[in-house]
Parts: sequence; structure tokens; C-alpha cells
Amino acid sequence: MSKGQRQLRFGAFFSVPGCHPTGWRHPDAICETDLDFRYLADMARMAERGKLDCMFFQDSVAIPGSTAVYGAKPFRVKNGRQAHIEPMSAIAALGAITSRIGLVSTCTTSYNEPYNVARRFLTIDHISGGRAGWNLVTSQAEDEAVNFGRDAHFEHGVRYDRAAEFHDVVIGLWDSWEDDAFLRDKESGVWFDFDKMHILRHKGKHFTVRGPLNVARSPQGRPIVAQAGSSDVGMELAARTADMVFTAQTTIKEGQDFCNDMRSRMSKYGREPDHIRIFPGIMPIVGRTESEAREKYEELRSLVDDGVGIAGVARLAGGVDIFKCDPDGPLPELKPSNAARARQEMIIAMGKRGMTIREIGRVLAMSQAHRVLYGTPTSLADDMQAWLEAGACDGFNLLFPHYPKPLEEWVTLVIPELQRRGIFRTEYEGKTFRENLGVPIPPNIHTTHRSSVQVSAVAAND
Amino acid sequence: MTSARQLRLGGFFSVPGNHLAGWRHPDAVPAYDMDFQLYAHITQVAEAARFDCIFFQDTVGVAGSRALARGERTRAKLSRTVKLEPTATLAALAMVTTHIGLVATATTTYNEPYDIARRFASIDHISGGRAGWNLVTSQIEDEAENFGFDEHLAHADRYERAAEFYEVVTGLWDSWEEGGLLRDKQSGVYMDRDKVHFLDHVGKHFKVKGPLNITRSPQGWPVIAQAGSSEAGRDLAARTADVVFTAQTRIDEAKAFYADVKARAARYGRGPEDIKIMPGLTPVLGRTMQEARDNYDYLQSLMPDDVALQSLSHISGGLDLARYPLDGPLPELPPSNAAKARQALVVKTARENNMTLRQIARHTAAGTGHRVLVGTPEYMADEMEAWLEEEAADGFNVVCNHYPKPFEDFCRLVVPELQRRGIFRTEYDGKTLRENLGLRVPENRYTRQARLSLAREAS
Repeated sequence: MSKGQRQLRFGAFFSVPGCHPTGWRHPDAICETDLDFRYLADMARMAERGKLDCMFFQDSVAIPGSTAVYGAKPFRVKNGRQAHIEPMSAIAALGAITSRIGLVSTCTTSYNEPYNVARRFLTIDHISGGRAGWNLVTSQAEDEAVNFGRDAHFEHGVRYDRAAEFHDVVIGLWDSWEDDAFLRDKESGVWFDFDKMHILRHKGKHFTVRGPLNVARSPQGRPIVAQAGSSDVGMELAARTADMVFTAQTTIKEGQDFCNDMRSRMSKYGREPDHIRIFPGIMPIVGRTESEAREKYEELRSLVDDGVGIAGVARLAGGVDIFKCDPDGPLPELKPSNAARARQEMIIAMGKRGMTIREIGRVLAMSQAHRVLYGTPTSLADDMQAWLEAGACDGFNLLFPHYPKPLEEWVTLVIPELQRRGIFRTEYEGKTFRENLGVPIPPNIHTTHRSSVQVSAVAAND
Repeated sequence: MTSARQLRLGGFFSVPGNHLAGWRHPDAVPAYDMDFQLYAHITQVAEAARFDCIFFQDTVGVAGSRALARGERTRAKLSRTVKLEPTATLAALAMVTTHIGLVATATTTYNEPYDIARRFASIDHISGGRAGWNLVTSQIEDEAENFGFDEHLAHADRYERAAEFYEVVTGLWDSWEEGGLLRDKQSGVYMDRDKVHFLDHVGKHFKVKGPLNITRSPQGWPVIAQAGSSEAGRDLAARTADVVFTAQTRIDEAKAFYADVKARAARYGRGPEDIKIMPGLTPVLGRTMQEARDNYDYLQSLMPDDVALQSLSHISGGLDLARYPLDGPLPELPPSNAAKARQALVVKTARENNMTLRQIARHTAAGTGHRVLVGTPEYMADEMEAWLEEEAADGFNVVCNHYPKPFEDFCRLVVPELQRRGIFRTEYDGKTLRENLGLRVPENRYTRQARLSLAREAS
């Protein structure tokens, strides 16, 4: 491996039974990957064999499409995403049977309490020996709101305001105990060093939380924080708080702009540009030959369901009734969406390029609007290497159309090609997720002040 | 196997030790609070001994946080400060075990029912039907301030919320009928819309539409345990619990509790076998009775007075006990909004045994109200058998003073004695916790409605 060569990183994105909403119909697809944990366990071992950085679990706290715009016809019965194992429980279990791979679960800041979330991720971090990651999201679907006593989800600005405060509480709780706070000294009978315990005493707009957390500090300093917001307010939060960003960019130019934009926002928070890892999503379709890859791609495209696609457009329409529009006509003017804002901008751009509602829907219903990349291991490697070298990404989140075969093909066919080129690891660099991702341990917020005092005291002595 | 009634055994893992100074014992491994490999070890020991389940108690805060925030440094001597969050731990333990039930506490006071329903159903799926939820209400003032409240809800409100929480959770668990996932590649239809149900719950504390985004789990519903011993607690348990964890220290009181809960259950149309009563039990073993007593005395001597007194603070009703002579009697306590039943128990124990403040404090700290059984393996088996035969218990939740040795010794020395007597299994009866506890799988409410309406049409 050539020294100094930038390295690609990969997250295996898990939205079982497939990221292609109707990809489950593929003959190779195993639908039971959604609820039979043995498949998830096997796939975790496979992903770890491929030295992937992490497994990255999508989540929502509802059956997607179970209420709201669907009115008298709830549920999207053709969509494979219906029932799944709660991902934090899943990554806790996977922590017990893997040893190196990072384990990221989505968890919403909209319908949880920061104390509970801080505690659970930190526990999973201990179980896994420092491999937990939290994908911090805000909830954006009515389906979810109605399961938590609300009629509608929070407005976009409020959601992010709450998310930012939620994050700060979680971080403050994660730092409750210094690394060496627990003495467990049988002789003196002293269990912990009182001065190495920190009580948060947070009083904010959304939360009042005293602390301390009842879990010791993380083996990796802090669990990894991932984010997926690509709206302006989402990017600002990520620039301040995220170790890892999951985004949807479809050209090198877009990727470069996004990376530059994100990194330029970081310095005002005292962060270095490479303290964040940016992962655009791709849906990979691998063939041994170009024609095999093309055939696979066409096969998956033929499985796209127009109804699922148009429902996807409707969700982003900001209240405009898409079902009343001609599906083969242009996308009407949309009101600002209170759902996924960056997503809405993406479909508006497609509409401006002249795509019809049906065509836009088909993009959503194939890859959730992420870039579909099909080809041989060589051509895929060429493409990804070009992105990496152009500074358009740090790696990719892999949205497999179905499971488990496409993951297996990635690990057995594509990874060796990248390793041969020296742009992907052949061994994990360290034991923790943070070490492997190559991002530093943030200083304990409760001791930052003290260490700066110590530093200036040292300087005064010099 | 004989037809004798069978004991149920739970491993109640109060890490790093239920005795507040237990971690100072030379045999103790104090890192038992945060090291998952140690949790895995002790669970595998319990499984090898054919225990029905393991169980983790829980609080959503560091016990004594208010005192810590006030700067009370005595608290730095208390070992049960941090630990692994139990529901995540159960999911992980499922991967290193095959038969043992996995039960954890989750409070109804500071959680959302959708989240809890989902999490326990997920653990049930992951473990192949071995999950159990110990439904509690939060009773420690320390917890409230981690959730934006100055103090916790009053006792009655907590139980009202808990009862509604239970209704929502079990309703969500029934969201999917058998066959709700068609996964028909030919027709392209993944779900059978007619077999998935909205709960549409609108109550005083919760408004939850559903459906749950996970199918019914291998046990139908995870096993439900409860630990409340107050009036409201007993009633909720009699109506809803599969297992009751309780703190009973005397056989006459245990028999009365047992009879009361089973009689209440009968009023809700439930049979005596539908609800298992498992008092806590803390073993202190010795090869002889004298050796066991010496072991206990040694353990008690490890406890500093200030630590002992702390164990009474949450039931003291706000009284500062440090101002009373340690060799004098326990003073009158003002009523406590927190653990009503627990306060009554402590006062009664002190009065009946003529205990000094130091003695009742050490006694309480040692077992947190659970029965401490000091003796030989034979003596322990005698006692457990007597409680079983006299209907004071269906089994015991074994909670140890430190880990792992006392638990390993119990499994090595006491369990074989119980097996010899034919009152404890030598092999698991089934694969799920319900099968092993001899509990029925609850019928899905929507399936039952459909079945009943079909029957009406036929007649």
C-alpha cells in the first residue's frame, strides 16, 4: 500500500429487506432479512470480513406510510420496508459477535429523552468495546408523530433547534465521568473519585437534565455521531457536531461543493476540516462483466413500482396533492416541505430538468434518489477512486438494493480491487470505530476549562 | 422427572454486588458493573445451571444523584453507581446464550410505550422468544431531574400511567396477526393490509395510533414481570403480570402475599399457574452453619457506617438519620412518597427484631430488603423447598452480595441439591421463556375477535 494515499471508507447501509423499496422481489432477495436476526448476524460477519468501517442502520418509529397523506388507503403494501428489528437492539446484539466493525444506529431526537439515548448508546459502546455510533436525526413524518401523542411532527426549525440541544445534553452526559474516575479501591472503600464526576445541570429550552449519567465513559472517548441532514440548518449542525455525514450527492461537482461547504463551516467551531468524514450514498450493482451489470441494473429497474414512486414524491410535496396531478406531467410548484428539506430541493431540481412526476418517482423508488452505480469491479473502482481523488467524498454509504447477496458481492468482488489499488484498508487500523474512522477523541467538555488552566499554568512556569 | 412442583429460579444480577460493601470482599470482581464479558460469563453460568431467567433491575439515574449534586462525598463509596443499560445488554446476551430467559426493568414513568413495545419485541425476535419486561414505576427522586421534572409523579398517578402504558404496549404487540407479511414476490405484495391493525389509543396519559413496526414476537408477548408490593402494585400485577418479583423475608408474610396475589389474579379470571411469584433471595453459603455465619459477619464488617445509613435514605421520608445515635433504635419515619411498601417493611423488621439503627441500616444495605439466607447448601435447599411446598413462593430470584463467586457457588452447590430433590429441572423444558416458565402464549386480540365473530356467524 502506498503511504499517504487517501483511503476510501465504507458504511453498509441497512434498510432491510432492501434499499430499493421493491427490490425484495428480486429472485436473489431474502425478505426474511427484516426480522430474522440470524441474517443480520451473518451479514455483520460478512461486512467485517470486508473491513468495512461500519454497518449503518436506518430507522423510523412507525410503519412508513401508515397514516397522513394516504388517507383511506394506509400502508404501502408493495414496499418491503414494513417491520424490522429496532436497530439499537440490533447493534447491541451485533456488538457481542463482531470485534472491529463500527455499529451505527439511527435514533430520533424528536420522540426520545436525551438521558435514555445517551445511556443506551454509551452502553452499546461498552458492549462492543468502543464501536457504537449514533445517527442523530429529526423525525419528519406524520406516521411517527401519531405514535407519540402528537397530531403532526415538529416544524423543521423547531426540530433542528431541539436536535441541537438534544445533542449537547447527550454529549454532556457522555462526559459525566472522566476516563479514570472509577477507583474501585477495596482497601480504602472508595468506589469513585468524586472530583472526576461531572454533573451536567443542563437547563435549556427543550430539556432540563441534571445528570450524571449512570454509565462510565466510552472506550472510544465518545460514541461516533453521524448525521444525514443536508439542508442549511442540518449542515450547520453537522459542521458543529458530527464525526460522520451521510448525504446524497450524484456528481463529483456536487460532491466537491458539498464537502467544501461542510468543511468551510467547521473552523468557526474550532474543528479541523478532516475531523469529519463525508459519505455520499450509492446503490451499487456489481457484475462480472459490463453486460452482466447492465442486465442486473435493468432487472432492478423493472422492479420499480410507479405507485411507490409517486407516493415518495407526495411525501416531499409540502402539502400539494400529487395524487391529483397527471403522473406524466411536470412537477407542480411545491410549497416548502416540512419533511426532508434537502430531499425536496433535489426533486425540484429534477423537475426543472424536465422530468415528469412518474420519472422522479421512479428515481426515488429505485435508490431513494441516491446515485445508482452499476458496473464491473474495475469500473466501480475507477468511479469511486475519481470521487476520492477529486475530494468529493471520504467514502460511501452503500445502499444495497436487497440483501444479502449484493453485500456479499461487494465484499468478495469490489473490495479486493480497491485493496489492490491501495485505496482501501487490508486490516482495520485500530480496535475502536473512532480509530478506524480516523477522527480524534473530542476533549471532555467538563475538563476543557481545567486543562486550559493547566496549560496556561505550565506556560507561566516556562 | 417427578410430578413434584418445580421451583423457578432467576439470577437477579445486581452488579457489582447487591451488598453495598460486597465489592470489597477479596473474592469480588468489582469491574462487574461495566464489563460486558463478565455479564456474559455470569449469564452463561446461570444457563448451565438451567435457571429460568436472568434479571436486571434498573434506575434511570445514579442513585443518590441529588446528594452527589449537593456535594455529599460519602456517596463516592457506593458501588452501584454505573452499569450497562439493561435492555441493550439483554440484546447482546441473547447472542451468547440459547435457552435462558432475559428479563430487564424498564420504567413506565420516563419512557414512551411505542418505544418500549418495540424494544422488547425486538429482543424477543433476536433471542428467539426469551425476552421479559419488568414493568415498574419510577420511585427514586433522583430519576425525575434527569427528565425535566423536579420530583416524580405521586404514587397513584404513577400507577395509573403504568396501567395505561401496559394497555398501549400489549395493544401494540398485537398490531400484526399471524401471516401479516406475505412477501409474495409474484404479486409484489409485501404485507396483508387486513392483518395489520391500528391501535388508535386515546387515553389520559397517551395517544398512540400504531401499528407497531415489528411483527408479533416468538412468545406472542414477551413475558411481563412486576415488582410492586403496594395495594396498587399488587392489583396491577394480579391483572397483568406473568411473574412477580417481590421482597419477602418471612414465610408467614410470604404466604399471605402469595395467597393475596393469586386470589386477586383469580378475580381477573386467571389461574394460579398463570402468575409466578418469585421473592428475592441472597445466599451466604458455608460448609457449616457456623462458617456461613462467619462469612456473613465478615461481609457486614466491610460496610462503613456512613454507607449503611445511606441505604435508608430513600425510605427515610426526608429524615436525616445521621443525627440519631447508631446504637439507638430506628426513629419514627415521616411518610414517604417514594417506596411506601419498602418503608413499611424496613420499619417492621427493625421493630420486631429490636434492631439498633446501625443494625437495621447494615441489614438493609446488605439485602436491600431481600431475604438473606445464611447457611449450608442443604439448609438453603430445605428453606427453598419449604417455601415452595407451603405456597410461599413459586421460585426465587437469586441476588448476590458480589460477583461472580457467590453466584457460581450457588449454581455449583445449591442447584444440584435442588435437582436431587426433584424440585428443579435438569434440562430446559422448551426454547422460549414462556415454555420454560409454563406460561401460555396470549392470543392476538384481533385474531380472537375474528374467531369469535366467525363462531357467532356459524351458530
